[in-house]
Amino acid sequence: MSKSYFDETHCAIGHPKSTFMQWMLTVDHKRIGLMYAAVMFTFFFIAVATALAMRFELFAPGAQYMDGDTFNQAFTLHGVIMVFLFIIPGIPAVFGNIVMPLMIGAKDVSFPRLNWFTFWLYIVGCIVALSSLFNFSDGAFNFADTGWTFYAPYSLNTGTNVITTLVAAFILGMASILTGLNFLVTIHRLRAPGMDFFKMPLFVWGIYATAWIQLLATPVVGITLILAILEKFFGIGIFDPSKGGDPVLFQHLFWIYSHPAVYLMILPAFGIMSEIIPVFSRREVFGYRTIALSSASIAGIGYLVWGHHLYTSGMSDLAKTIFSFLTFFVAVPTGVKFYDWVATMYKGKIVLSTPMLWALGTMVTFAIGGLTGVTIAMVGVDIHLQDTYYTVAHFHYAILGGVVFLLFAGMHYWFPLITGKMYNETHAKIAFWLNFIGFNVLWFPMFIAGYLGMPRRYFDYLPEFQIYHQISFWGAIIFITGLAYMFYVLIQGWRKGESAGVNPWRATTLEWHLPTSPPPLENHTKVPYVDFNPYEYHHGEPVVKFDENMKRID
Amino acid sequence: MLEGFNTSGAVIAAHIDQAFWVNFWVSIVLFCSVVLPMLYFAWKFRESKVKNENIENITHHTGLEITWTVIPTIMLIVFFWYGYDSMKTVRTMPDSGIAINVEGSKWKWRYEYPANEAGHVHKLGGAYIKQKQDENGKVIEEGTMGKSALYVPVDTNIILSMTAPIDDVIHSFYIPSLRMKEDVVPGRTTKLWFNVGTVGEYDIECAEYCGTDHSYMYSRLVVLPKAEYEAWFNSTEDTPKGNYATSGDAVLQLHGCKSCHAIETDKVLVGPTLKTRTLTSEQVLDVINNGQNKLGYDMGAMPAGLATGADAQEIAAYVAGGMKGAQPASFAACSSCHGEDGKGMYGMSPNLVEYDAQLLSNVLKHGKKGIIGNMPAFPYVSDEEVSAIAEYLQNTK
Repeated sequence: MSKSYFDETHCAIGHPKSTFMQWMLTVDHKRIGLMYAAVMFTFFFIAVATALAMRFELFAPGAQYMDGDTFNQAFTLHGVIMVFLFIIPGIPAVFGNIVMPLMIGAKDVSFPRLNWFTFWLYIVGCIVALSSLFNFSDGAFNFADTGWTFYAPYSLNTGTNVITTLVAAFILGMASILTGLNFLVTIHRLRAPGMDFFKMPLFVWGIYATAWIQLLATPVVGITLILAILEKFFGIGIFDPSKGGDPVLFQHLFWIYSHPAVYLMILPAFGIMSEIIPVFSRREVFGYRTIALSSASIAGIGYLVWGHHLYTSGMSDLAKTIFSFLTFFVAVPTGVKFYDWVATMYKGKIVLSTPMLWALGTMVTFAIGGLTGVTIAMVGVDIHLQDTYYTVAHFHYAILGGVVFLLFAGMHYWFPLITGKMYNETHAKIAFWLNFIGFNVLWFPMFIAGYLGMPRRYFDYLPEFQIYHQISFWGAIIFITGLAYMFYVLIQGWRKGESAGVNPWRATTLEWHLPTSPPPLENHTKVPYVDFNPYEYHHGEPVVKFDENMKRID
Repeated sequence: MLEGFNTSGAVIAAHIDQAFWVNFWVSIVLFCSVVLPMLYFAWKFRESKVKNENIENITHHTGLEITWTVIPTIMLIVFFWYGYDSMKTVRTMPDSGIAINVEGSKWKWRYEYPANEAGHVHKLGGAYIKQKQDENGKVIEEGTMGKSALYVPVDTNIILSMTAPIDDVIHSFYIPSLRMKEDVVPGRTTKLWFNVGTVGEYDIECAEYCGTDHSYMYSRLVVLPKAEYEAWFNSTEDTPKGNYATSGDAVLQLHGCKSCHAIETDKVLVGPTLKTRTLTSEQVLDVINNGQNKLGYDMGAMPAGLATGADAQEIAAYVAGGMKGAQPASFAACSSCHGEDGKGMYGMSPNLVEYDAQLLSNVLKHGKKGIIGNMPAFPYVSDEEVSAIAEYLQNTK
C-alpha cells in the first residue's frame, strides 16, 4: 500500500515525529486546505447557531429570549464570522489550495512555506477579530454591536474597538493578499508543460480572477485602518462629523474593498459549477472561452460598482446614476455563464449524482439571488428596498444559495479525491433536499416582508410582519437539520465509506489522474504533457487516459 | 401589510412600484429562460434514456451566444432607465411646498414646522411607544400616537430637510407605504419630498442601524384633510383636533401612563393594570390590616382591623377577584362605607374595583404609594383630562 498525504508530509521547520506537529507545521497544500476547512466550518457552525438564536427571538413581536442589545450583538457576531472568517477565505483557501495545484499538474503551490505562514496568519487574524468584538467600556466588558459593516460614526463613538477590528481585517487581508499572490505565481509558473491559459480547467480560471481581486482590492483595508488610527489617536476628523469628518467616506472605503470581495467569494464558486456541469453531463463544456473570460470581466467591473451600496446615503445623484449603470454590466457576464452551463446540458447524459444536484439546485437559488440583485441595482427601487429584508434575502440567496451551496457541491464532488472514500449517495441526496427546501422556506418570505417594508437589523417588528418571520423560522429548522445531516453523512463516509478509486466520477481534469487515492504527498508521479482540452469527452467517456506513471494510454 | 401600503396615495410610490413590477415580470422571464431549459434537459437527457453514442459535444453556437448576451443587455438597460427615472421623481424637489425640518437622534424623530400666522412654531416628536400585543395577537397597549406623529395636509408637497445632531449616528427616514427613504447623516442635511393623495396614517421607520432601540425608532405620518390641517397649524395646540389627543386613551398616552399601566389586560407592568382596579389580595389585606388614608376621601382614614383572620382573607379574595359571584357574609364589614355592592359612595369612599374621577385626580395630584414603589404625582393633568380618563377606563372594562 503506497503512502498518501495523510501518511507523510513536508514541514516548514524540521522533521517533527509527532503527527500533531506534522499537521501544525505542514507545507503540503492538501493538508493546509483541510486545516482551513476545519477552522472555517467550526466558525460556520458558531455563526449558524447565532442566526438560529435570532430566528427564535424574531418568532414573535416583542422581546422573548433576548433584549435589543443582545440581538444587536448576535447579528454582529453572525456577520463578522460569516463574512470575514468563513466566506472570504472560503473556497480559495480550501479548494484553491487542495485542488488547484492538482488541476494544473503542480507538486504544490509556488511558495509552500508562505502558504503555511498564510494559514497561521489567518488563525492570528481570527483571534484578533474575535477579541476585538469584546471591548471594555462603562466599566464592563461588552461585545461589539456595530454590525459587520462597522459604519461610522456609530462604530467610532460606541466604545467598540473598531481599530482592533480593522487590524484583524488587515491581518486577514494580508493572509488573503499572500494567498492571492501565491496562487497567481503558481498559475503563471507551475502549469504543466503544454497547458496554456485556455487549456486550464475553469475552476483555475475562477481562482485566477479571484487572486487578482485579493491582491488589488484588499490593500484598501490598510488605507481605512490608517485613517481610523489618525482619527482615533491624533484627533484628525476623518469619519466622525463631530471632529469635522465625513461618515459617508467610511462607507465608500468599506465598500471599495467589500464589494469586490463578494466577487472574490462568487468567482471560485462559479469555477466549481463549471467543473461539475460538464462532468455530470458527460460532454464538453459549452462556451469554454466565454466562461473563462466572463470571470475576468466580472472581476474587472466589480471594482467599479461599490457605490450601489450608497444609494440612500446622501451621495450625489450623478454618482448614483453612474454606479447604477456600471452595476448592470456585472450582470451580463454572469448571465452568459448561466446560459453556457444550461447549454452544456443539451444533448449530454445528465447524471444526477449529489454534486450535480447541488449544482443544479444552486442554478435555481443563485438565479433568484442574482436577479433580485438586479432589482436593487435600480436606483429608484433601491430607495424603497435598501436596508430592508429584501436586501437581506438577496444577499443570502447570492452568498449562501450561491457561494456556500457551491462550496457544498465542491465538497461532495472532491470528497472522494481528498479522502479516498465515498459517502452514501442516498443519504447525501436526502440531505441536499432538506437543505434546498429549508433554504427556500427560510429566505423566500423575506423578499415579501422586505418589499412590504420590514427593515433589517430589527429586533422587534410591527405585527404585520409576523407571518413572514414565522415561516422563516420553520425554514431555518429544516435547513439546520439538513446541514447537520449533510455533515453527518460526510463524516460517516470518511470513517466507514467504501474506497472510491482515483476517478469515481469519470472526470477528465488532471486532479482525477493521480497514481493513488487519496493522493500521494507530491501528487502526480510525473508531470504530464498537456496537449488536450480540459473537458474532452467522446461518447460520454474521458478521451485522455493515463496510467499510474502518467503515461498516456488512450 | 402596513396601513396605506396599497393605496398608492403618493406619486413617488406609484413611480417606484411601476419600476419594481416591470423588473419583477422581466426577472420572471429571465429566471424561466435559465431554469426551465435546465429542468427540461435534466429530464430529457436523463442518464437512463441517453445512449453514450448519442451524446453530442456542442461547444459553440454564435447565434445563440449573441442572443443571450444582447437580449439580457437590452433588458438591463431598460431596468437602468426605470431605476433612473423613478430616482428622478424622488430626487427632484418641487418648487413649492411645506418645508418641515426633521431631526433623527437616538432613538426618536422630531419635527419642526415653519412659524404659523401667530408666530408659533410647532415642534413635535419624541420617543414612540409602539403598540404591544400578547401572543394571540390581541392588543395589550396602543402606542403613543399623538405628540410624536408628523402631521401633513393631503395633496400637498411636503419637503423634509433632515439632519442628525453632530454627535449622533446615521439614521434613515423610511416610509414603506410611500416607498421612500433617505439617510439622516450627522453634520449634513439630506432632503426628501412627498405628496400623499389619501388621508390616513402611515408608518415611519428607521432603516439605518443605530443601536439599542433601532427597532423602536418609529413614528407615524398622519395625513389630514386640508381644513383640519390648517386649523391645527394656525393654532398653538400640539396635536390636531380629532381622534389624536382628546380621547382618554390619547391622554393616557400623552402622559406616559401606559408605560407603567396596562389598560386592556390584567397584566401587571410596573404598576397595576387599569383595566379594572384589580388589587392583589395582598394589597387588600394590607389595607384591611393597616388602614388607609392615602387617597384624600372626605370620610377620612379607613381604620385598621375592621375585619380579621379568615374573614379578612375571604374579603381579600373576593375583592381581588373583581367582586364576582356570591358576596361573602363577611363583606358586611365593608358595605357600610363602600356600599352594598362595593361600588363606593361618590366623593366619600372609593369604588373597590373601578377608578372614579376623584380617586384618579387624587392619585395624579399626590402620587401614590404602591406595593411595587411610589407612583410620582402628575399635578399638571387638568380636570377635563381626569374625567376623560375616568370615562375611558369605565368604558374599557
